[in-house]
Amino acid sequence: MTALLTIILSFIGALVCGLMPSSAHRRIRWVALAVAAAGLAVSMVCCVKYSGGEFVILLEADWIPSLGIGFITGYDGISLPLLLVTGLVAVCGVLFSWTLETRANQFYAFYFALIGGVYGVFLSLDLFLLFVFYEIAVVPKYFLIAIWGGARRQFAAMKLVLYSFGGSALVLLGMLALYFGSGLTPLTFDLRELMGANFSRDLQVVVFPLIFVGFAIMAGMWPFHTWAPTGHVAAPTAASMLLAGVVMKLGAYGCLRVAVGLLPAGAQDWASWVAVVAVINIVYGALVALKQDDFKYVIGYSSVSHMGFVLLGIATLNLTGMTGAVLQMFSHGVIGALLFALVGTVIYSRTKTRMLDELHRLIDRMPGIAWVFIVAGLASMGLPGFSGFVSELYVLIGAWGSLSGWIVAGAGAGILLTFGYTLVKIHEAFFRERSPAVDNQAETAYPPMTLPEKTGVAILLGAALLIGLCPWLLTDKISPSLKLMLERFPN
Amino acid sequence: MDYQQLLLTLLPDLLVVVALFAALGVDYSRLRGSRLAKRYEVAFQISAAGLIAGLAVLVLQIAETMPVMESTADGQLELTRSTLTLKALLYAMGLGVLPLAKRDQITPQVSEYFALLLLATLGMGFVVTSRNLLGAFVALELVSLSLYAMTVLNQASRASAEAALKYLTFGAVASGFLLFGLSYLYGATGQLDLTQMTGLKYSPMLVLAYLLIFVGLGFKLALAPFHLWAPDVYQNAPTPVAGWIGSGSKIAAAALLIALLKPVSSTLKDALIPALAALAVLSMVVGNLGALRQTNLKRLLAYSAIANAGYLLVGVVAFSAAGNTSVIFYILVYSLASLGAFGVVAVLTDTLGRDAEINDFNGCWKTTPGLAAAFLVFVLSLAGIPPLAGFLGKFYLFFAAIEAAPEAASWHDGFYWLVAFALIMSVVSLYYYLRVLKAFLVAPADDGAAITPSKIGWAAGVTLCVLALAVVALGLWPEPLLALLKNPS
Repeated sequence: MTALLTIILSFIGALVCGLMPSSAHRRIRWVALAVAAAGLAVSMVCCVKYSGGEFVILLEADWIPSLGIGFITGYDGISLPLLLVTGLVAVCGVLFSWTLETRANQFYAFYFALIGGVYGVFLSLDLFLLFVFYEIAVVPKYFLIAIWGGARRQFAAMKLVLYSFGGSALVLLGMLALYFGSGLTPLTFDLRELMGANFSRDLQVVVFPLIFVGFAIMAGMWPFHTWAPTGHVAAPTAASMLLAGVVMKLGAYGCLRVAVGLLPAGAQDWASWVAVVAVINIVYGALVALKQDDFKYVIGYSSVSHMGFVLLGIATLNLTGMTGAVLQMFSHGVIGALLFALVGTVIYSRTKTRMLDELHRLIDRMPGIAWVFIVAGLASMGLPGFSGFVSELYVLIGAWGSLSGWIVAGAGAGILLTFGYTLVKIHEAFFRERSPAVDNQAETAYPPMTLPEKTGVAILLGAALLIGLCPWLLTDKISPSLKLMLERFPN
Repeated sequence: MDYQQLLLTLLPDLLVVVALFAALGVDYSRLRGSRLAKRYEVAFQISAAGLIAGLAVLVLQIAETMPVMESTADGQLELTRSTLTLKALLYAMGLGVLPLAKRDQITPQVSEYFALLLLATLGMGFVVTSRNLLGAFVALELVSLSLYAMTVLNQASRASAEAALKYLTFGAVASGFLLFGLSYLYGATGQLDLTQMTGLKYSPMLVLAYLLIFVGLGFKLALAPFHLWAPDVYQNAPTPVAGWIGSGSKIAAAALLIALLKPVSSTLKDALIPALAALAVLSMVVGNLGALRQTNLKRLLAYSAIANAGYLLVGVVAFSAAGNTSVIFYILVYSLASLGAFGVVAVLTDTLGRDAEINDFNGCWKTTPGLAAAFLVFVLSLAGIPPLAGFLGKFYLFFAAIEAAPEAASWHDGFYWLVAFALIMSVVSLYYYLRVLKAFLVAPADDGAAITPSKIGWAAGVTLCVLALAVVALGLWPEPLLALLKNPS
């Protein structure tokens, strides 16, 4: 039951924050921090206590019995890392929005409505319930971006929501096909029952792409990724942290849990196509990132590239690769959120610009921040010792096992490109000299990081480092659950 | 016939009729020459008392503590739990319209305004409970005539008169089609009693009858291509009246459509499905694409109503018990949200003195945060976002349409294409719904805001609160209402 607290607390937090007067923004941020921290604490407790690989059922109740819908919640080793990353990003999102004053009450109301929806998706074991939570997470994103965002926020917010909704429409159609095609008596949306259902092969082959693409749009799959960079860039820092850190994982989680989990034969038929798209994601994202002048767009496209590894891991359909995919969701959730926080708040609030060619030797002017960013960039690049290295390694080993050599070679090229754009952009941002005639303040030093910023950086970087050094902390939870899923695969 | 029992059965309606005459009588005699505000207050109180009393009796009848005649001769009345529930909900919503009408004191003909509102409500109550072709038609005309008259109540506005004339002429033609269709149905079956008709087999005469009926009811439901009146009427009728046109009369028409289609057998069904599906597709396209270009909020809601009527037919096409329940459930939750949205608009714009554009609502989050929050709930429900009732309603419609495949058929035989089309169209609809919400919740307050709301008043406030809570509650916990509606009749 305790894990349900994450959902309940988030929605209560949304209500409480929304009802407080916006002038009380100092009090609101403490309430928000407390709510987010409570969610993190609950997920950590669940994560520590979990072992085995079976589902832990939290609450199983009738909801709309006449349509076979139940309120069934629970988690397993696949959802746990995602619960954890949601908790981490939620806390740090509050920390990096510490100075927010305008409409703070409404900001946190939408913020926690989004987070409650995300927790709900990861804890749902009923397909309908999962979809409901997935949709609950859509609308707050619109308001978070449209109200508190930066340039072109209306456009970006609308684009993001329409893409999300388009994906949901595909999922809903596939979901109904699954329900009526399951042949179960009585018909049900219960995921556990559906996992045991005997879906015919032609159903699997038709429905798998519907559901997979529907969810993968949210995961930033090429060619439906274009919402991601514009959305990430226009969003306020906390929202882009959530988008990159958590919302894209919702899509990937749906692909894994629903599309692959329920339709293994369909997944086997489509795996090579998914792998091709995943490699395009990796390479294309990295190439575009290399060409960007706006620092936040660089991170936005690097997210697209890194999500390619998640999709590639899922496409391997073997234990190693899929473990890598889940680990990569965690890893990119933490590191992506950190990079957005650094670029969107820590650096931008000081320089007031994100254009790389307007930055002049930041390494001298904000040395502490610069070094933190360099470490974070290296972590994102896949430096050994950080979680990104482990997860990408798992994915590549998995890909060797089951996919063609060309795919692996493509992904390898993507990694080289990642090295390339990370180093180039770090150089442009921190080490490059700009002609001093343009900037009369070029020599002034910027203030160091504030306490909330330091805390947030420490939490996210610490998590990436911890999992990088002791990956078994998560893989021991992930692998048994994936093994159970793979046992149901037809040979 | 047991007249005492008949009297008890019709007690809710009698109470409303008494209130209607009381409102007229008091206004004409004692309150002659009183202030307008006073007359509105008294008429409101009398009408509300009548509807509350009627509602109380209805609740007792549903709970079976008061005796009810289950049915009368010729199917004139068919009072099961599901039809009584529908009638009670109509009374409750009618009660919700009253405070809005009281606020917006648009006409000096006070008691006529309230009497017409009560008459329309009364008529809707009869439409949903009648299973007799003539009885239902007469009741539906009672509704329509009251609504025509109310549309023109704002005598200061030329546009209002024009809209009412359009409504009347279109409506009269549509009623003609409906009556023509009903007469063919009678001619083919020799029955006026819908409960006695079963298993109507395919015959050209019956297909023609139903096509004519679709034209007539399509007008009432604002289905494209019979929707041309809707944008003008929604925009120019007094806002509470537009709200009642967009909710109560839709419920009545949808319930009648379902009742008329119940006796259809599978051979006739196959002939009717293409027509219904075409109407559904056309309405979704016209409504959703039309709404994209609107700058006037009430006009936008009219196009949204057209689109929603299209979704509704997706459930009708299923021709199944689940489909019928889903249609009634959907039209109910749609009406709650639509009435709520019109209510917010009515409360916000009655001091504006002109048609409200969407931009006029800029910054409502600051000036009237409560109303903006309520509007968020209503519009998100119209857009079909969970956990609100509108989502569940839409889901149930699609569910029924896909379930419609016969037992032995394989998984891909449901109306997937129609559902897919409706889903695409709901994605489109999100664009204009969000555009409206952007004005209410996103835009800065100083950006051309023209709205300075007067005091909301407790009655309108309570109405909007109850509507918003109902939309949330029916989304979270629909089972009790679904069970009541499902009760076989």
